[in-house]
Amino acid sequence: MLYTVIAAAILLLLTAVLIFNSLIRRKNDVENAFASIDVMLRKRYDLIPKIVEAVKAYMNYERELLTEITELRIKALSQTLPAEERVQVDNLLGTKLTDLLVAVENYPDLKASTNFLQLQGTLNEVEEQLAASRRAFNAAVTIYNNSIEVFPSNIVASMMKYRRRTLFEIPAAARDEVSAKPPVNMA
Amino acid sequence: MSSYNTFRDFYEKELRPDLESIDIRRRTTNKKVLTALTLTAIAVLLEVVLIPGNTSFPKPAPIIITVMAGLITAGVAGKSFKDEYKTSIIARIAAFADEGLLYSPEGSIPKDEFVRSRIFLQSCDHYSGEDHFRGRSGKTEIEFSEITAKYLSSSGSGVKQRNEYVTFFKGLFIIADFNKNFRTNTIVLPDTAEKLFGRFGQTLQSAAFGRGELIRLEDPRFEKEFCVYGEDQVEARYILTPSLMERILVFKNKWNKEVYLSFLNSRVYIAISMDKNLFELRPFRPAADYAFLEESLRFLTLLTGVVEDLNLNTRIWTRE
Repeated sequence: MLYTVIAAAILLLLTAVLIFNSLIRRKNDVENAFASIDVMLRKRYDLIPKIVEAVKAYMNYERELLTEITELRIKALSQTLPAEERVQVDNLLGTKLTDLLVAVENYPDLKASTNFLQLQGTLNEVEEQLAASRRAFNAAVTIYNNSIEVFPSNIVASMMKYRRRTLFEIPAAARDEVSAKPPVNMA
Repeated sequence: MSSYNTFRDFYEKELRPDLESIDIRRRTTNKKVLTALTLTAIAVLLEVVLIPGNTSFPKPAPIIITVMAGLITAGVAGKSFKDEYKTSIIARIAAFADEGLLYSPEGSIPKDEFVRSRIFLQSCDHYSGEDHFRGRSGKTEIEFSEITAKYLSSSGSGVKQRNEYVTFFKGLFIIADFNKNFRTNTIVLPDTAEKLFGRFGQTLQSAAFGRGELIRLEDPRFEKEFCVYGEDQVEARYILTPSLMERILVFKNKWNKEVYLSFLNSRVYIAISMDKNLFELRPFRPAADYAFLEESLRFLTLLTGVVEDLNLNTRIWTRE
């Protein structure tokens, strides 16, 4: 009888340790995925001044849009911005960049510039990588949320004070981009 | 293709005159093959009857030699016709499908490319291929061929050990440029585990050894058909956008066969499992068989269509 109790206790402990480790791994996966979004956002911030520089000589009527993009970039880079607000700023920045690429259609000289075409290619790439990072983050969060809600790992999760994470809402503009439809016709 | 309105038109004007003379040669070849086989059969029969049982050499030896000689003679005659038919007719059908499409009847995708794709992890101990096509559609280079790959299986031990080659892939293998640059390898395989075992299948997938991480994608229809392994969660999603997943599903349904994909070195490798031997005229089928020629064209169009199907010519990223 005693041996059965000891065996059951060891089994229980072992299960708890396995669940504990797996929850930690999943939480780290979420954090890792979130960091990769950050990396892509930084790539986007680095690219913006180059794009603004390349287009400003050609675009006479979009000064306001360019200023707006520059300001949004500065705001997004500010250390004091709360996380929620930063997401909004980043989404808005994405929309404005798409607007900028649409506006380029009206400037044939700019569209033909090799420098701009290169920058546009890089921007499309960064945007697609950003969308991919957000999807990777959402996949990691889904796995994490499932594991903290299903039995028996929910017991360990509540002891570890793990809370549900919210999924990243992919902005409509980014959804269009990931649909592999070029935001701007490059032909 | 543009100078002809339809394939029927091309067939009547361009192929038919040649096909008629080829058909005469096909009949001659068939006669040669049949004669060689009949003579072999007669020779074997005579050997069985005439060679006395108490010879100093084993009795089956001359019979084996005769059968081999007969089969080789028949094979050589048949092959020379097959080669002629492929170089003169299939090559022109390829040019009709796409002017830039180069055809090499005996060529194939090199073995190291097949192995490098990492679609199949079995040891490739016997590899053969034929009907190699290479061309360019817009900015995308594409090549494909038929491939048969086998591994050596041993059973039993000692004197009872039996070795035999087991086919693990037979079908079409395509290599095309991909429109994005990437560093890591992502593999899309038919999802047999999830289809058979449902959620438990998902657990089995994540334990697939030597395949890297399991990538769980958000499209449930795609997840039902395929399972994806990759070295990088983000890069796998960078390659497999929702749109590409949709396109792969449509591509799979179009072929209605098992489809495997591997994304490696900024190229996509596609394997389509298929038992049918394409571009091969059966000896007793007339050379001018329109249905066969049209089918060959249909397969070529489907194969070159992969560039369009997967939208590989859209180059809005840094890859030119």
